[in-house]
Amino acid sequence: MTDPYKVLGVSPSASDEEIKDAYRKLAKKYHPDQYADSPLKDLADEKMKEINDAYDAIVAQRKAGGAGRGYGGGYNNVGQNGNSSFSDVRSYIMAGRIADAEQILNGVPPQRRNAEWYFLKGSVLYRRGWLEEAKDHFSRACQMDPGNPEYSAALNQAMNQRSGVYGGYNPNMNMNAGGCNACDVCSTLYCADCCCECMGGDLISCC
Amino acid sequence: MFGYVRPHRGELLVREYQQYKAVYCQLCRQLGKDYGVLARLTLSYDCTFYAMLALGTQGDRVSRRRGRCVVNPLKACDFLEGEGESYHKAAALSVLLTRQKLKDDLEDEGFWKKLGCRLLLLLGADRQGKKAARRYPALAKLAEDTTAAQRQAEESQAGLDQCAEPTARLLSGVFRELGGCDPGQSLALERFGYFLGRWVYLMDAADDLERDRKAGSFNPFVRRLGLEGEKELTQEQREQADLFCNQALNATMAQMLPPFHLVELAQFGPILENVIEKGLPQVQREILFLHVRQLTRRERRELGIRL
Repeated sequence: MTDPYKVLGVSPSASDEEIKDAYRKLAKKYHPDQYADSPLKDLADEKMKEINDAYDAIVAQRKAGGAGRGYGGGYNNVGQNGNSSFSDVRSYIMAGRIADAEQILNGVPPQRRNAEWYFLKGSVLYRRGWLEEAKDHFSRACQMDPGNPEYSAALNQAMNQRSGVYGGYNPNMNMNAGGCNACDVCSTLYCADCCCECMGGDLISCC
Repeated sequence: MFGYVRPHRGELLVREYQQYKAVYCQLCRQLGKDYGVLARLTLSYDCTFYAMLALGTQGDRVSRRRGRCVVNPLKACDFLEGEGESYHKAAALSVLLTRQKLKDDLEDEGFWKKLGCRLLLLLGADRQGKKAARRYPALAKLAEDTTAAQRQAEESQAGLDQCAEPTARLLSGVFRELGGCDPGQSLALERFGYFLGRWVYLMDAADDLERDRKAGSFNPFVRRLGLEGEKELTQEQREQADLFCNQALNATMAQMLPPFHLVELAQFGPILENVIEKGLPQVQREILFLHVRQLTRRERRELGIRL
């Protein structure tokens, strides 16, 4: 086996905290949830296993306690459903046979296209990378069957990705702004003054 | 391509910035060597990114050489020379894409632009493009197919996803080839390339939205948002459009990052990461929220933005 420290990209002299940090970063990067619908799943699983093994090896070496693992996160998961009218499509999607699934879906006449059809078609489009149409199909499915948790989970995930939580630019989060403007200076000073006053002192005498 | 794939300079280490520049300068020199002085004008950030990705995935040995800028001999300049094919391929890609762009413009631009395109093609763009195509027939085929598919998608007034498909396919094919015979690496590169290409296309469409709308040219965002008939957009409508474009780009980013993280890089990892994780979001911010295209040069400088 390769050097577990090398796998995590830390030096053998790193502290337990640093190792935990490096592990968390890598685990987040390669976590299978992100690759659930992707042809890269096996590759990611392999990486994840490598990282887990390396971390476990180091922990065992250092005889430290266990660490919290696992990241929640919704993803567009198509599973088998008892009362589904498209169980063949579902099993094709689960097996990664996207073209076959799409062919069956396209053969369904428009008047028979129910909420599930829109959800499954959206899932196929999503896997192909046609994210805009996928989202439109998911929201159509949710409109037709508002209470369905499967459809709303898919739509929620698409909306989250659009908001920039998983990469990209989020206009409501000032992540890239460097420096501070006059407003920041004033409000910071005001806060500092309030803090001082709480403790009985005073930073700015006039307010 | 369009120059959107560039690093976020403020977040690079000085050493990394120097390396990036040295790759950029070397690519410029390589263009001149392989395809003549005029080919240097096709130099772009996008092809620099490709050169870096190629050097990173192939693990070519690189060495730094001090020299003088080819364009301005008064300026000292570093060149990062590589041993493998990477720079040659990046130069060929740059020339091929430019030739395709010129040929494409020849078909649907106005009289003066047409004249310019024809002149450039005569001046050597066509000849050098053919030379590049002989060296890398696979790349040439990809570039040609892309233009044809793009034209078809736009003529049939297709939706956003289908319009983005040709550029996505182009990058996915070009990147896939860097994986060589390692199936895992090829798959990761292919998937990464697909979404990077999609992002580039959508970014370009978002950037041109206002211009295309006024000129009545085809733009998938204009169609998607139903803005075709509008004479002048209200402030609110414009903000809505920017937000929508940003969301489409974010969704693409969310799909691009996982495969990118799986690509094995022997060198330049941090710089490439900077481009993808920080540079692209920064471009979204500059174009859609700071509207840098409408700012004067001085205002841009105050914001610390160089185009």
